[in-house]
Amino acid sequence: MRLLLVEDDTMIGETVLDLLRAEHYAVDWVRDGDAADTALRTQSYDLVLLDLGLPRRDGLTVLRDLRARRERVPVLIATARDALSQRVEGLDAGADDYVLKPYELDELLARIRALLRRSAGRAEPVYDHQGVSINPATREASVHGEPVVLSAREWAVLEPLLARPGLVLSRAQLEEKLYDWKNEISSNAVEVYIHGLRKKLGADLIRNVRGVGYMVPKQ
Amino acid sequence: MLRPLTSLRARLLWFVLLAILATALLQAALALRAARAEADTIFDYHMQQVAQSLRAGLPQGLATGVLPLPPEEQDFDFVVQIWTLDGTLIFQSASRAELPPRAVLGFAEVDAHGTQYRVYSVLTRGLVIQVAQDMAVRERMASELALRTAVPILLLAPMLMLLVGWLVGASLAPVNRVRQQLAARTADDLTAVAETALPDELQPLVHEFNGLLQRLSLAFEAQQRFVADAAHELRSPLAALKLQVQGLRRAGDEATRERALQRLDAGIDRATRLIEQLLVLARQQARQAEGAPAQPLALDELARQVVAEAVAASGADVGVDAPADGRPARVMGHPEALRILLRNLLENALKYAPPGGRVDVRVQPAGPADSPAAVWLSVEDSGSGIPEGERERALDRFYRLPGTPSTGSGLGLAIAQAVAALHGTHLQLDTSPALGGLRVRVCLPAAA
Repeated sequence: MRLLLVEDDTMIGETVLDLLRAEHYAVDWVRDGDAADTALRTQSYDLVLLDLGLPRRDGLTVLRDLRARRERVPVLIATARDALSQRVEGLDAGADDYVLKPYELDELLARIRALLRRSAGRAEPVYDHQGVSINPATREASVHGEPVVLSAREWAVLEPLLARPGLVLSRAQLEEKLYDWKNEISSNAVEVYIHGLRKKLGADLIRNVRGVGYMVPKQ
Repeated sequence: MLRPLTSLRARLLWFVLLAILATALLQAALALRAARAEADTIFDYHMQQVAQSLRAGLPQGLATGVLPLPPEEQDFDFVVQIWTLDGTLIFQSASRAELPPRAVLGFAEVDAHGTQYRVYSVLTRGLVIQVAQDMAVRERMASELALRTAVPILLLAPMLMLLVGWLVGASLAPVNRVRQQLAARTADDLTAVAETALPDELQPLVHEFNGLLQRLSLAFEAQQRFVADAAHELRSPLAALKLQVQGLRRAGDEATRERALQRLDAGIDRATRLIEQLLVLARQQARQAEGAPAQPLALDELARQVVAEAVAASGADVGVDAPADGRPARVMGHPEALRILLRNLLENALKYAPPGGRVDVRVQPAGPADSPAAVWLSVEDSGSGIPEGERERALDRFYRLPGTPSTGSGLGLAIAQAVAALHGTHLQLDTSPALGGLRVRVCLPAAA
């Protein structure tokens, strides 16, 4: 899953970036409103973590512009602006959730998981499909009840496919979820992880749609 | 005791109504008097005319043999008697009112049989003609006439009062309208009251009031901005600390833990610095209120000391430019406060100067060489400066130039400004002519 972190405070930004990467999210970090706007126009993200008091362009303006383009990416506002009117304004401008600084990291991560779940169109916290089940909160996977150990990269490829069975994701889309700006992309990385996943979870779980991409078939 | 009339409306109404009433009464009294005088003149004229018309006289002897009218038909207002010069009564209009025969010629008032008469006598061709009128009747008729003149005036007064009452109410309607507009406001509504369609007397008042509202609104906005900024500025270092602790707790290996510890350290430094700066700012502002006396001090010496302390921690080329010819650079000031001012300006300049950049501190006496009136202190750097539009805001608390790292407290220039205010002056921000970056100048009064 690829996240955009918008945060102007260097200390907070550095720490959150490390903590989110430790949770195996691909994260891009921008420090002002203009950069956030550019990133959101050029890259597709699974979730945006947005501060409001930003240099150059206010966070609310970035959010309103994003929603005016009919982008449906979940937006979680994380800010020190705590007045009720500001919270209401933030949510009404198109945010999906609002946390106040200083926040508990565990809560922030849980809210991120909830938003990702909802944006995949589901409510159940454990993805269960054709005997394969994964739990994004605990990062535990199993096949027919037998625990399976997945690497962070394998997880990053499997989770979006399993979240929406029947949806075909192209190789480029899967690559986006694997890597942020920091990492180099190797040309056949996705194929390598798909191969590994098939070996661990069974050959028919992930189907290749030639010339289009990969999918987990519906029942 | 009567309550003093504080309402304009009540005062106007009462005074105008009293005036109307007094005028009406006076007018009625004058009308009464005039009417009676008029009636007297008219009745006298009538008596005269009757007498004149009888001058033709009656044929001698005609009167004899004519029977007098029966008393019940003798109810005239006027009584006429005609005498011959020898005193023979030859005509009498009413037998009951026999007037004394020798009345004076012209007008006279005569008592006869208990009734007062007004008599007009005229002598003509051997006859004396007397015309008389009962004074009581005359009085009554005069009074009736007078009343008919005065009553309409008294009846019109209440109508006039109603009209004035309505006019006063209508004229004061704008006052009421403004009052209602203000009464309908919520506590935080500081928008201007509409100044259109107001009378000339009220317009300046509302205008001044709007001016006050505007100043209040600006102060209110500044206060709100400060509270919002302070909330953000105080929470951010704490949020960073909290996250750093959580990062430390989650650190899996030694290298990560070491990095997390370093970050935590930096976070604590930052929070400490913010609190120190806030305290410095509060102290400088409080000192201004205390009004402590200034003392003479050598500004160039102080500048050298502060620069020497700051230069150790900096990679930039920092220098002091003070007149070396022994011209006095002594000012009246508070040494500790000026040290704080200079340190903050210097830290600011060092932060914004590029790596290997240059920062100049200048002490420059202004005025005659031997006894300068003032001394300019300036700090300039070779950074990118502050755009002209941002300079005023740059002195606000918690202001940071957009796009710059947010590790500072954002209070440096605000603190320097507070110290300048303590010295009765203010900071001037412009572009350094020599270095191209920001130049901050302050003009201090020279010591005598």
